[in-house]
Amino acid sequence: MIFRLPKIEKVLFEGRTSRHRQNLSAEGRYRHLRRSLLVTMLLITLIPLAGTSLLSFFQYRQLIRQEAINNLQWHGESTQRSLEVFLDKLKNALVVTANSYPVGDLVQQKNLDRIFTELKNDHRGLVDLSLINPEGIQVAYAGPYNLLGKNYRGSAWYNQALARKVFVSDVFTGYRNVPHFVIAVTKKEPGQNGYWVVRASIDTRTLEDFLASAWAEQIDELFLINQENILQTSSWHWGRTGETFPITFSPIRKGFNLISEQSNNGKVLRAAGAVVGTTWTLVVEQRDNAEQKSWHSFRDQLVIIFVITVLAAGVLIINISNALAAKIRAADEDRELFLKDQEHTNKLASIGRLAAGVAHEINNPLAIINEKAGLLKDILKLTRDFPHHDKFITQLTALESAVERARAITHRLLGFARRMDVSLKSVQLNEIIREVLGFLEKEALYRNIKLELHLLRDLPPIKSDPGQLQQVLLNIINNAIDAIDKDGNIRITTQQLTAGRVQVDIRDDGPGMPHHILQNIFEPFFSTKLGEGHGTGLGLSITYGLVKKLGGEIYVESDEGLGTTFSLVFPIDQQQERG
Amino acid sequence: MAEIKVLIVDDETEFAATLAERLELRRMRTRVAGGADEALAIMGEGWRPDVVLLDLKMPGLDGLQTLTLLKQQDSALEVILVSGHGSTSTGMEGMQKGLFDYLLKPVDIGVVVEKIEQAYLKKTGSAQRGKD
Repeated sequence: MIFRLPKIEKVLFEGRTSRHRQNLSAEGRYRHLRRSLLVTMLLITLIPLAGTSLLSFFQYRQLIRQEAINNLQWHGESTQRSLEVFLDKLKNALVVTANSYPVGDLVQQKNLDRIFTELKNDHRGLVDLSLINPEGIQVAYAGPYNLLGKNYRGSAWYNQALARKVFVSDVFTGYRNVPHFVIAVTKKEPGQNGYWVVRASIDTRTLEDFLASAWAEQIDELFLINQENILQTSSWHWGRTGETFPITFSPIRKGFNLISEQSNNGKVLRAAGAVVGTTWTLVVEQRDNAEQKSWHSFRDQLVIIFVITVLAAGVLIINISNALAAKIRAADEDRELFLKDQEHTNKLASIGRLAAGVAHEINNPLAIINEKAGLLKDILKLTRDFPHHDKFITQLTALESAVERARAITHRLLGFARRMDVSLKSVQLNEIIREVLGFLEKEALYRNIKLELHLLRDLPPIKSDPGQLQQVLLNIINNAIDAIDKDGNIRITTQQLTAGRVQVDIRDDGPGMPHHILQNIFEPFFSTKLGEGHGTGLGLSITYGLVKKLGGEIYVESDEGLGTTFSLVFPIDQQQERG
Repeated sequence: MAEIKVLIVDDETEFAATLAERLELRRMRTRVAGGADEALAIMGEGWRPDVVLLDLKMPGLDGLQTLTLLKQQDSALEVILVSGHGSTSTGMEGMQKGLFDYLLKPVDIGVVVEKIEQAYLKKTGSAQRGKD
């Protein structure tokens, strides 16, 4: 099994469970961040887009609607005016007839037929012409029906005509049983009481033909209704003459106005205007016209553009959010790594101060023990005949040896605490390695450990502190020798890396280390060396501190049963690197 | 070599007294002082040491301050700092103030004797040169 320890792994103290939990909560935090970014960016992008689209939507719809209403009103008004002119002509012709001829002439069938023929030539749609005496009896009649002698005293139109002098009736069927309307004019005969009535009737088809001629593409249909909402002309949509128009609206006194907009089964614009001189109202309707088709086309295009833009923006924003969240996460992880590194450095510094204090406190009593034992030894040397002389000397020597061991420990503790300035020089790493091996060759020989060197011939010199570099290499190679104990190989390799760095690998074929040891190997006071006189547990911790101080990195890989490799990476020029 | 006079200044009296006794056995003359005041008093009595073994951390004046005062009394005096607390910066500061050497407790008697002799030779050498 190979454990590659990147920077962070070396300083992890948490257990697996807590670390796993931390990862989970961090995962949730970054998911939330990504979601927040996504929602924010979507809102920032889509709100103006939706706003602009809605504004265009409503403005264009309003424009279309206004144009349709204008068209409707324009057509309605022009038809209304034409109808009024048509009826005025008829009314005037009848008034002139009533005023021009005395009753005596009008009752003459021959005269009435002649007058009727003349009027009919000038006014299309005229069906008949008749004269009604003050008793309501039709006394003269020119036309296709047999209506002579009919009594109209009970008819609504007759009474309205007497009251108004000139009257245009609603459409009705009457004695002839055919839909028509009448124009009636009263006539006063000198020396007689009561009013005579000159009456002309017009077929409803005339009105329908008239309205049909006013039809245009921009409108759907035109029809007339009376004050009781009864159709005066037939309608494609609402039925025949005489049926009820179901839409009610306030009476219109002037002009041509919009009366309703229906949205069921498509939009229906409806405008109406009163026909002056009658009880009629002209209604104009428009369903799904050209403007509405243009509107539907615009709306469909707008929706398609909006959907495509939203999809494109969505994809883009998702990618940007993911990239941003990833970058923030990477930055956070770098910061965390830096803080952990700092924490480790601070820990080393604290332990250093503690170590210095402890070393100082121990050194003083140790010095007293040393001096006392030394004095006793001195005295014994002067008194050779002292009983058990040799035994005392042996015991005191053991005491001094113990003091020496304790001294070695306290001095190493002080060395750990010492904060020496780094003195940078141009250093040949290969030479430093050879110098260090000079110290250890005898030890290696004694233990039958073979030292193999694979040093890059053209390795560039690095800027470093030779003393501290020696210390680092000495510690690691010493550890390798201790790990092998007897009969083995240590291979030392140097190589140049890209980006101005060099690397030294120190590989031993010792027993290797399990994961739990590897995780703690750079911790202060962590030691794997068992037994008396072995290891303060500060060697690799000091080494780690020194390597960091020299601007380098240290990595360790270990295969249990196969060996361990320490890798040191140093910058060629650490000042430039830091700068 | 003539008898070397050594003044041991250390608040650890057990250490100072024992070391003094051992140096006496090596034919040196010694006096022990528990701090700067006692050391100055001894010198004030007219007892002039050749070499002073001086502790760094003491109550009252510390080793470096005491070194300054001793050097004011006798500039030819050679002083060796013997301390349980090792610090390169302290050593460097001491050297600037005329310290002969710097030893870390516990010390090997052989090393102490060797350093005292070196200091003495330096002192007497410089004294000799002063006479020449």
